[in-house]
Parts: sequence; C-alpha cells; structure tokens
Amino acid sequence: MMDMETSTSFHDFLNRMRHPACLDLVRSIKSFIVSFSFYQPKPENDGKKVQDFFLSMEAAIRDHPLWTTASEEDIDCAMEGLEKYIMTKLFSRTFSASPEDDKIDDEISEKIRLLQTFLKPQHLDIPPSLHNEPLWLLAEKELLKMNAFKAPYEKMTSIMSCCRIINNLLLNAAMSEHEPTGADDFLPVLIYITIKANPPKLHSNLKFIKLYRRQEKLTSEAEYYFTNLMSAKSFIVELNAKSLSMEEIEFEESMQAAKLTNKTSSESSYTCQMNQQEKNECSCSKKMDNKLDDPGVLQVLHHGSNYPYMEAKSKELTVGDVDILLSHYKDLAAKHTILCKAISCLSTSEREPLLRHLEKQGAGTLMPVCHSTVGSPQTQLTRHQDN
Amino acid sequence: MGCGSSLPDRDSRLLGRPTSENGGGQDAKNLRVKLVLLGDSGVGKSCIVLRFVRGQFDPTSKVTVGASFLSQTIALQDSTTVKFEIWDTAGQERYAALAPLYYRGAAVAVIVYDITCPESFSKAQYWVKELQKHGSPDIVMALVGNKADLLEKREVAIQDGIDYADKNGMFFIETSAKTADNINELFEEIAKRLPRPPVSSDVASQTAVR
Repeated sequence: MMDMETSTSFHDFLNRMRHPACLDLVRSIKSFIVSFSFYQPKPENDGKKVQDFFLSMEAAIRDHPLWTTASEEDIDCAMEGLEKYIMTKLFSRTFSASPEDDKIDDEISEKIRLLQTFLKPQHLDIPPSLHNEPLWLLAEKELLKMNAFKAPYEKMTSIMSCCRIINNLLLNAAMSEHEPTGADDFLPVLIYITIKANPPKLHSNLKFIKLYRRQEKLTSEAEYYFTNLMSAKSFIVELNAKSLSMEEIEFEESMQAAKLTNKTSSESSYTCQMNQQEKNECSCSKKMDNKLDDPGVLQVLHHGSNYPYMEAKSKELTVGDVDILLSHYKDLAAKHTILCKAISCLSTSEREPLLRHLEKQGAGTLMPVCHSTVGSPQTQLTRHQDN
Repeated sequence: MGCGSSLPDRDSRLLGRPTSENGGGQDAKNLRVKLVLLGDSGVGKSCIVLRFVRGQFDPTSKVTVGASFLSQTIALQDSTTVKFEIWDTAGQERYAALAPLYYRGAAVAVIVYDITCPESFSKAQYWVKELQKHGSPDIVMALVGNKADLLEKREVAIQDGIDYADKNGMFFIETSAKTADNINELFEEIAKRLPRPPVSSDVASQTAVR
C-alpha cells in the first residue's frame, strides 16, 4: 500500500517534470546535482546544502504555474518525488560517505553478531507476554528492508513499519493483560529486534535519514520512532556487562566464546577440512551435494574400481586381505559418517529428491547404511562381502 | 523575583523566544509542543498519558502508531489550542543514558514518581538535575506524584514534593491515573505555563529590546 503510493507519486513527479513548463525547475535540479560533483563529500555541509535546496525548490514549486491549484498534499507529493530523485542521484556520494562510517557500521554489525549467539529476551527483561516469534520476525524483515531503499522517505517507512508491528504486539498484550503499555516495553523489544535482525549499515542509514530526510517530515511521530532506533543503536554500541540482566562474568564469557566461534567458523569456511566438519556441516554438505550429483561417483560405486572386493567371495579371501579390508572399511565408515551428516543438514524438501535419485542410480548399498546408525564393524563387513 | 513566585523572571524572558527552537507551534493560536515523560519504570507514566488522551477523545487527531507516542490537543479558554506531542521514555535504569536523545528540543518535561515509592522520588530528583544541566534552558518542568489513590501506602509526603518543586521553580501536582484525578488539570496547567509566541512582529521587537 505504502510502496504503491510512493511509486505512483514518484511517477507523477517525473511526468510533471517532463512538462515544458517545468524546464526551469529541471534545470535547477540538474545543476544542483552537478554542483555536488565539484566538491569532496562532507556529510554535515552536504546535508545542509540538500535541505536548503529542498526548501528553495518547495518555494519554487508553490509559485509555479503548474501547481497554482495544487493542494498541500499535491505539493507534499511533489516534494517527496523530488527528495527521492535527488537522493537517488546523489546516493553514492552521500550514503556512508566517509571511511569512518564504514568502520562504525562494521563494528556495530560485528558486535551484534557476537550478541546474537547468546542474548535472550529475558536479558532485556522482556516479559513473556511479549514473546512472539512470528511477529518479531515480521518486524525484523521490515527493519532489514531499510538498507535496500535509497530514498530517505522509503528508509523511514521501513522503520515505521517495524515499529508499527512492535506496537501492535504491545497493544495486543496490553489488552489481554489489562496493563497499559508504553516505552518501558517498547524500547527493549525494539533493541532485541534490532539485534536479531542486524540490519546492514545501521549507523550509515540512520545518519543518512537524519541528514537527508526532508526536515519538516522528520518531526512528531516519525521523529519519535527514528529517535528510538537511534537509541537502540546507541544502547548496542555502549552495551557492556552492566547493561543486561545477567551475571557480568557470564556476559564476558559469552562474548569470549562468541568471538572464538565466529573466528573458527570464518576460518573453516575457507578450507572444508575433515576435522572441522563438525562445526561446519553446512558448507560440507554443499560440497558433498555436488559430488553426489556427479554421475562419476555413482559409477565408481557401481563398478567398484576403487573397491576391489566388491565381487569377491569369502572363500577367496586370505588372511593378508584383512589389513586391506580393514583400512577400506575405516575409510568407508568415515565417508559414510560425513555423508549422513551432510544429508541431515539438508531440509526435508532437499533431502527427499536426493535420496530418491541415489536409489534410482542403484546406489542401494549406500541407502540402508545411510539410514542406519553406524553399525558394528562385523555387520558392515559382511554386508559388503555378501554383495 | 519575589519569594512567592515559583517561576522567577520566567514569563518576560520567554516571550521573545522563537517558537521553532523547541519544536513548538506554528502560530500564536495553535501551539504544537513536544512533551517528554521521564521517571522510573512502573510509576505510571504511560497510564497518565493514556488517561489524558482517552479521556478527551479528539476525533480530528490522527490515529497514532502505538502507546509510547501519543498526541492530544486541548483548547484553552482564550481560544488557543495546544497540541501536545507526548514522548514516553523507557524508565529502566539501563536506558537512563539514552534520555538526552528524547528530551533534546522538548518544550515540556513531565517528571513522574510514585508516592508509594521513595526510590522513584529520588530518581525524579535526578531527572530534574539532569534537565537543569542539559535540557533546553527554558523548558517547562512539572513534577508529578502519581498513584495518589494509594493513600494508605504513601511513603513520600506531599509536602516533600511541594518543597522540592518550589525550590526548583517547577509546577507540582499529585495525580491518580487510576481515578483520573488531576490528570486534565496537569496538562491544562502546563498549557497555561507555556511561553507564547509573539502575536505580531510589534510584540516580538518589544520583547527583543527588553
């Protein structure tokens, strides 16, 4: 609904600007955009420049023959269109313009990644009546949209949608608990949602909205909810052992553990080694998946070139074969374990077709083994021999 | 500047203040005012606002997103209207450091404590001091002792509230969000104390000279 409104008003704006009578307006807009490329980006100055330009354009639009009969809403629509046009054109120069912004964004994201590993709603004293995973998820999704938009207005819309969902949750709980609700409940939930969502470039997005959202629009309710997200960000940045309802020592240990886990998982994503596969089952499963799709693997299994005992009869075996058989067995058992782990990592919808595919390919030997837990050496040995 | 006045030298100084500075209103007849609510969690900040907003239902006001931001317009006898935009804040100790983000630019601060809870009265005093140091210099402050219906559990004497407010040039009132006692009075009194923007440029230049 909201998105459709903006896109139509934006198209209206573009259409109007194509009118010959708008040539002077278009000329000012273009020269303003060009003037930006003459200077190095300087966020505070640039914000002021853009805001001043918005004001002068608003005055120009109000005086313009094409808008003589326009209502306040029409003027507002035109201004929203202008904001979107200008800020889309200037986006790469104005968004996260300084290296410090990038650094702050990365630090916040990294801190949130650590917090995500252990932070629970009760650490922020969020009462059980407000625990609602589906609504939280919805709010997170709205917040995550913020970074995908370029216009300050649209970024602001995703903040408002996120807050609206939290408020609905609060109001519903208030109704059933017969207890009024307010900021005491709202802010902790917003902070928790922000940590769960880890919205990319949080600092840069907030700074961008602050500087480039039309000033007269960042007031009242919009300003209030914007301020709440600013506070959530500040709280996360400053968050330490004393900020949460948990033992300080527990906090420190959890942060340390999170740092270690994050480190190992990023290392093991480069090299998917056998001894690391416990921690990194999913990237392993990808690799195994590719291998299984390769018909060569199944052919090898079937024709047994790597498995010289596939056609052997027990009578033909000698004592000397025991060593070779044992090493083959160990090798197979290890591969089997990894394979089962990899398959269990897949979702049911991914797993079923894969298993059927394997069955069709005649990998019958693999299937029962995969479903069973690792059996004793003897049973598996006989199974191979029987085949 | 007399001892009797709880707002020494206030009115004359405020008259010439530009309205935009405090997020204030558009013209002399219709003020728009940012009001921030401070106080411990559980003292009933949100209850006071809900009482105020629901008690005087205003069909023209736009429906707001939630309960932590509410707005309400009241009409005064001199035919001016005041639209309060009420910013609730989280009262838990761990969010105290975030308060400046909320009270920045506020024209009014309502500081609430619970008359059955002396800790909340100390916290209210902390907020008064903080606002005196970091709030805008001409902010209108009100000290509110809430839960006045719980007389038998009272632990903060009414005189303590009056004395503290007097000493700090604030308006004081005890309310009960539960029975709606004094809720409208609180907001009406605040509205009366608001500095008015100059009616004409004449007045503006007069006050500027003064």
